Parts: sequence; structure tokens; C-alpha cells
Amino acid sequence: MAEVTLQDVVKKYGTFKVVHEVNLNIAAGEFVVLVGPSGCGKSTTLRMIAGLENISAGTIRIGDKVVNDVPPKDRDIAMVFQNYALYQHMTVFDNLAFGLRNRKVPETEITSAVTRATQMLGLEPLLARKPFQLSGGQQQRVALGRCIVRRPQVFLFDEPLSNLDAKLRAQMRIEIKALRERVPTTSVYVTHDQVEAMTLGDRVVVMKDGWIQQIGTPLQIYNRPANRFVASFIGAPAMNFMKVELVEELGVMSAQAEDFKVELPLEQAAVLRKHGAKMVILGIRPEHIRFGIPSDNSGSSFSGVVTVTEQLGSEQVIALNVADSTMMASRISPETEVSPHASVQMWVDAKTLQFFDDKTEMAIR
Amino acid sequence: MTARSTKFGVDEKERFMLFLIAPAGIVLVCFEIIPILIGMNASFREWSLVNPQRTWVGPKQYIAVFTDPVFLKMVLPNTFVLMILSVGVSLALGLALASLLNRPFFGRAIMRTIILLPLTIAPVITATMMRWSFNDQFGVITIFLSYLGLPDVAWLSDRWPSFALVIMTDIWIWTPWFTIILLAAMQGLPPEPFEAARIDAATPWCIFRRVTLPMLRPVIIVCVLIRAIDAFRTFDQVWILTGGGPARSTEVFSVYAYVLAFVDLDIGRAAAAAGIGALIMLFVGVGLYRLVNRSMEVSR
Repeated sequence: MAEVTLQDVVKKYGTFKVVHEVNLNIAAGEFVVLVGPSGCGKSTTLRMIAGLENISAGTIRIGDKVVNDVPPKDRDIAMVFQNYALYQHMTVFDNLAFGLRNRKVPETEITSAVTRATQMLGLEPLLARKPFQLSGGQQQRVALGRCIVRRPQVFLFDEPLSNLDAKLRAQMRIEIKALRERVPTTSVYVTHDQVEAMTLGDRVVVMKDGWIQQIGTPLQIYNRPANRFVASFIGAPAMNFMKVELVEELGVMSAQAEDFKVELPLEQAAVLRKHGAKMVILGIRPEHIRFGIPSDNSGSSFSGVVTVTEQLGSEQVIALNVADSTMMASRISPETEVSPHASVQMWVDAKTLQFFDDKTEMAIR
Repeated sequence: MTARSTKFGVDEKERFMLFLIAPAGIVLVCFEIIPILIGMNASFREWSLVNPQRTWVGPKQYIAVFTDPVFLKMVLPNTFVLMILSVGVSLALGLALASLLNRPFFGRAIMRTIILLPLTIAPVITATMMRWSFNDQFGVITIFLSYLGLPDVAWLSDRWPSFALVIMTDIWIWTPWFTIILLAAMQGLPPEPFEAARIDAATPWCIFRRVTLPMLRPVIIVCVLIRAIDAFRTFDQVWILTGGGPARSTEVFSVYAYVLAFVDLDIGRAAAAAGIGALIMLFVGVGLYRLVNRSMEVSR
């Protein structure tokens, strides 16, 4: 296990910068997930750590060693690829043993390392098979095994579950988490799937257009997003946004839009007053929107027109037209009868609201 | 479209399909099937153009070809040596050049075009060019070799130098073909196994041997299959360079059949020789085809 440090790391293709001054410290044994939409630079960052891409500027350290110009084989890393990258003409055993054989490890040690890894991943019956004779999940398990046998300092995962179907992805996610407990190693995991990011990462790094947007624990990212992008990217259904005007009447601040008014608690009002802007962006998580009227006057209610309902069995998700914008509300009881075009009363606990600057889109805190 | 049956049991859709393939079918029958049948018929007859009796002689012509010492000691060995060396060396050179061109370097596009040039020249012209270049008296290459102090070689007067020249010419013509196909195949390979191999501490040679070659195997085998069959019927280079000489020592299968048919005017014997050649090609082709199938299964 080793610490991984990225200091002002830049990647340029010609004059086009795809990764901008990335600074990231990954502690030994920590599991960090890089998440973001396609083209955000997450895979490029991972490939720079692996040594598969040269860096244009900055410093990458693995342990105490600067690895900027060190070839991948000498970085003591192992990588799992999205499409498994197995050697199709070799058996599972040979795939697992390939890296060790290239490092001139004695055959007896190779056999015991492969046996240990295959026992851990339940691959023993498949050792003599070739990758094309395996299912997608089994192939990905072989790719994981290829990492484990080497006992490297750092594991790198490049969207390892993207090629699997939803059910298998959920199962493999649990297996990776269980594997982490058994083989604690510093890991960097790239995904565009926020569920993988939230469930696997000790810390999550959200990226957009080559910039790091926020680094934090999954709960920090979810509850205190640094900006509107992070707030919208993490969470399903995505956070609702609405441009509102802050109005103060008789010492009470409220966020108002057409046919919409929510009174704000004192602490939130103080923060917004200090910020000074009159027009801000209001963010409401779908699960914070409740159906009906608050029983104890603890929240503010507003009305909307239902456009679509989605019955999920355990809950209902409804889309509403509120003040000319569409809002999603989740966790509505599946038993509640809601029909499209109906006007409904909803309420929200004002303490859960998020506010973002209208121009910079940064969170107001 | 609703299919309507007719009294011949062929519906409208099938009639349309038959109509579409009819031109190709007619061409195939007229220029392939009928000539093959005429040739097979001729191979069992005494059919000389100077005495066209067309007497039925049974397998006599086949026995004559199989007992002809020129066919057994010159033609067959020459044909197989040409096939194996030309295909083998062109493949090795093609692989090397494709690997070179698969890496980014300054002038790669120009290099790729230059390498393609031999393929754009007609084999007859290439062979003529080679014949002149290696001429004992005024050949550019002969003069250059003697300028380097190497002993004079009568390239077109002895069996092995002449045959070496034939093989070299064939390699010269076909190496670009291997290069371009293998380069296209290399560029179509997924990059991840190569990246995984780099992380797995594989050396460039190990990556080439243990990753690139196995991944290219299906393409290589298809190329070898096509080229081996093609090399078996090589005619123009040999005819222009050596005419099968000196003393028939560089004759290959197609030249042998050509001489029988159009120099000796012995159509019957030539047809038997061609039939034997077709059978040999069939066996070689089926063998290689099976290899392709097995390789495809392994590499899938």
C-alpha cells in the first residue's frame, strides 16, 4: 500500500488542455473514486497515474517516488480495464500468471499466488478455460484476479463495471467492496456511475471539463455540494433547480418565484443576506419534496401540476410543473393516487434547501 | 410482399432472386464450368493440335505427367519452394514493416505510400525490370555488386540464382500486400491488452510474440491461405524472367502446363497437368481452410 499524490498535474493534447492542474492526495489504503460525465478527464487522470499517458506538467508520486517518467511496469500498479483486456488466446491461469512470469517469479510461487487469487474470486473451476468461454462477470473477475496476484502498491480501475448488465453490476460492486476488505490496497476507481461512486469510495472526486469540482466523502458530496454541477450530477433523480428572488418582509426572508414561496430559517437567511445577491438558484432534492401539507407547519407548501408519474413499486416519482419549471419529487408513497394534469399541494422542509450563486453557480454558504 | 406460388413451385420472390443472380450464373457456366468440363474431357484424350484426333486414352495423360521426371524433380519442388519461401518471407517482412508503420514517426504517411508502390506495378513490368537490373552484362545491380567487390554471379544462367531471382521478385511484389493488410489489422486491434501487457512488465518483443501475433493470427492465416493458392499459380514473373530455364530448371507448375498447351500444343497432357494442379491446390486449400477455422475458434 502506498500513498498517491498528484500535484498540479496537467494533460494537454497539442494546445488543448484536457486536465487542468489536478491536486489530489490519496492516503495509503484509501479507495478514491473519480466520477464525472464523459470527457471530464477522469480516465485520462487515471491513465496518467498508470503511466499509460505522459503528463504535460506537474508531479505524480507513488509512495515517496516521483513516477513522472517511470514506465508502467515499474510503478508497481495493477489496472482493471473497462473491457477486461484479457489475453483471449491464453487460459485463465496463463492470464493470471502472465505478469508474474514476465517478472521472472519462480513457477511454484506463481502457482500459489494464482491459487490464492482464484480461491478468493471463486475462479478455480475456470482456470483451464479461455476468456471467450466465460461470461462478462467471470471475465471481469479474472481481470480482478490479474491485479490481486501481483500484490501491487496501487489498484487502478477504469470503469470496470460499465460493460456488465445492471444486475451483474450490482453484484460485482458488492464483490469489489468485499475484496477491498480482504485485500486492502490504495485504489483509484473511475466511473461515470454515481451509485458506484457513492457506494465504493472512501472519498469521491467529482470532475468536469478537466477540472476537479469537489473532493469529499460521499455524504459531504451529497449533502453539501460545492456547486450546481456537483449537486446535479450526484443524486437520482437529479436535484431540482429554480431561479428565485430573495424577499425580506418583516424580518422574514423567503425565496419566491411565480406561484412559489418558501420561508427560510434564520440561519439560512443570515448566510444569504451576507452573500448579498437578490436572485439566486434554489436547489431541492427530489426526496425532500413531500406530498400534501406539513402537519406541524415545519415547512413551506406550494402547489404544482402533475405532468408524469412513475410507479416504481417501492415509491412513486412524479414530475410537476412548478413556477414554469419542472420539478421531480421522489419517495412519494406508491399507494398515493396521483393522476397527470392534477393540481397537487406539496411541501418542503426549508432546512434542506440548497442555494447557488446565479452567476458563478457556486454553493452559497 | 406476398409470395405467390406457381406451378413450378417458385414464388415471385425466388423468381426475382434467380433473375438477379442469372447474369453471374451465366458467366460462371460459360467461362468456368464449361471450360473445366472441356478440360477434364481433354485430359482423357490424345488431343494434340498438330493431330487433333481426340482419341480416348483413359488415364494415360495423368500417368505421363506423374512419371515425367521434369514434373517430379523440377516442377513440383520448384512450385512448392516458391510457394513456401515467397509466402513465408513476404509474411515475415510484411509483419516487420507493418509493426514499424504502426508506430508514429515523422514521414510515416510517405513511407506507407512508398511501400505500396511495388503493388501498383504490373508483375510483367516488375519482372522485366528485374531481368534488366540483374543482366550479366549491363544490369545495374550486377554492376553495383561487382563495385562492392562481390564475385560475379550469372543470375540468369544457373538454376539456383535464376530461381532465387524469381523468388525475390515475387517477394518484392507481395510484401506490400502483406504489409497493408497486417497494418490494417494491427490498427484495428483493441489497445487495452497491449496496455495491460505493458503494466504486466512485458518487453516489446514479448508483447509482439505473446499478444500481437496471437491476436493477428486469424488475419495472418487468411492472408497465407489466399497467397499460397495464388503463389501456386505464379506464371508471369517466371515466364518473363527465366522462361522456365535454364534447361527447364526453374519451371513451376503453371509454366509447365502453359508450355505443354501452347508451345508443345499438347492439349490433352496440359489438361491432365492442370487437373493435377487443381487437385493439389484443393488439398492445400482445404488444409489451410481448416487451420483458419480452428484458429478463428481459438481467437474468438
